[in-house]
Amino acid sequence: MTTNATTIASRLPLIAPELLRSLVPTMVINLLCAVVVTYLMRIGAGFVENLVFSMCIGTTAMMLIDCGRILLWGKDEPNKPGFLLMLLIFAPLSFFIGNVIAGTLIGRPVELLAPGQANNAIGVIVLILLVCVGATLFYWNREKMAALEARNVVIEKQAVQAQLQMLQAQIEPHMLFNTLATLQTLISTEPIRAQQMLDQLIHYLRATLSTSRSAQTTLGQEFELTKAYLGLMSLRMGLRLTYSLQLPDELRPTPIAPMLLQPLVENAIRHGLEPKVEGGDCTVRVTVHDGMLIVSVFDTGMGLNTSTSYNKPESIHLGLENIRARLDALYGPLAELTLTHNIPEGAVAQITIPMAALYPDPTR
Amino acid sequence: MTSRQSRALIAEDEVLLATALSASLQRLWPELEIVGIAANGIEAVEHALAAQPDVVFLDIKMPGKSGLEAARELAEEWPEQRPFPLLVFVTAYDDYAVQAFEHAAIDYVLKPANDGRLAKTVERLQARLDQGGKSGNPGSELERVLQQLRGIAPTLAPAPAAQERLRMIRAAVGNQIKLIPIEEVIYFEATDKYVNVVTADSESLIRTSLKELIPQLDPDVFWQIHRGTVVRIAQVQSAQRDEAGKLSLRLRTRPETLAVSRLFTHLFKQM
Repeated sequence: MTTNATTIASRLPLIAPELLRSLVPTMVINLLCAVVVTYLMRIGAGFVENLVFSMCIGTTAMMLIDCGRILLWGKDEPNKPGFLLMLLIFAPLSFFIGNVIAGTLIGRPVELLAPGQANNAIGVIVLILLVCVGATLFYWNREKMAALEARNVVIEKQAVQAQLQMLQAQIEPHMLFNTLATLQTLISTEPIRAQQMLDQLIHYLRATLSTSRSAQTTLGQEFELTKAYLGLMSLRMGLRLTYSLQLPDELRPTPIAPMLLQPLVENAIRHGLEPKVEGGDCTVRVTVHDGMLIVSVFDTGMGLNTSTSYNKPESIHLGLENIRARLDALYGPLAELTLTHNIPEGAVAQITIPMAALYPDPTR
Repeated sequence: MTSRQSRALIAEDEVLLATALSASLQRLWPELEIVGIAANGIEAVEHALAAQPDVVFLDIKMPGKSGLEAARELAEEWPEQRPFPLLVFVTAYDDYAVQAFEHAAIDYVLKPANDGRLAKTVERLQARLDQGGKSGNPGSELERVLQQLRGIAPTLAPAPAAQERLRMIRAAVGNQIKLIPIEEVIYFEATDKYVNVVTADSESLIRTSLKELIPQLDPDVFWQIHRGTVVRIAQVQSAQRDEAGKLSLRLRTRPETLAVSRLFTHLFKQM
């Protein structure tokens, strides 16, 4: 990471709250140090004077280290060798500065480098160094725990959100009522086709409702669901919709989370083909390439809006964002969703998941 | 009963539903002649303008143009001396549409429609056609529909999340990208698949639709005055009416005048 003057300047406001946060623990540590120096190391003129020195040195060290850390690394975790180097420089420095301040406070010059004092000085510097390292480790762990907790909260929130959206996305009311309207028509005019359509609707509803309750399903089951959905849509859209589903038999039992494929197919219909006057084709294909499972949904519909980005993490497309978040949470950072232009027209939505991530380690 | 036979057009993209509606209407209103079935919004407008029916059933969600967009276009293009058709919107499930219709007192039918509900609509339509025949004022229905349509956004959807305002327009000119600050734009004009961005001294095409562009513009600065035109209102010098009653705008820094369509003339009434 580059730390130039502007980023350093932008971090200045971070310092004050950080120092405030560290103040009380530092005081406590200072008090302990005074006790150690007075009664264990038996250096100095007595507890009260040592406490003054300890307070001055400790607070100086805290300020130097906090300021240095924030200016160089901001809120990020510092890199370890750099941080240790900083401690090595700041420990003796705070020893000297703290001594000068304390000396001024007490009103008596301190002869740090006087003969016979050198050993004591080195002892104290080593102590400061140890205390600094200890305190740093304590803070690091505390911050890591906080970060971990924050991440857990985010994951939980995403899960709840995904669940909500799944419920909404599963049975889109517009689709359901249009299907029912078609059924109503067919019942009197073409009862056999009505029967077929009802079968597909039942299949679709059953599959959609049951996948919402289970965390895992198989590619085969997901394809059955997609087939029922596309079957319904093709009855409604008539000649405007053609479709094909391509899933190699050996991949049928592959476990996969529900509601990853279906939203993409429904998007292809709803945003790609339904609004298009002449309609088009939807093809769903699964392949394995280099240990990656690739699920692609091709459509020849309206195509992507050129002015918005669908692949940036901050994109406003909630449905896509949700799939991305779930892919990341379930299968790690190598799993991804991309949306690109189809040639010559329409869009391609593609989910890529490492095969290894699909079969979770049973010992875990 | 109406003196002459009433004629209706059905605009519905799903063939099965269109035939079903047609069959129900035949049953409930045998004298009604169905002049045709349009399979999308574009066909609906063309067909209605050509056949000039008395009633148009418009599905809300259609490819090409939504039912509301088609209605707006019809209201703008309809010849003034002919009575405007009675519009009935048809929707499967659309909270926003239904709310908007109730607010604007527009007639609508929910799919799947039962004969009982449809019979009520038919009664209403028959009564209104009788009335219209008596009053003999062809413009009144058009004015009423314009009023209703002005209250409804053309794309029925929940208000989109506050979109970022457009500040710089990137237009491709040859193999260069030209940057046009929004402050320089005088008006936007929709062409076939593009939008023409007009400044004091240049015109450039961008590949987007006016529909996508409008939410990104400040509504206090840019006003839509026509289905295909959005103008910087501070650039408008005057509005004048020609002999045929058509309203047009004169601009401060461009020689051409811009036409205001029926749907937007109320914006330029005297204070």
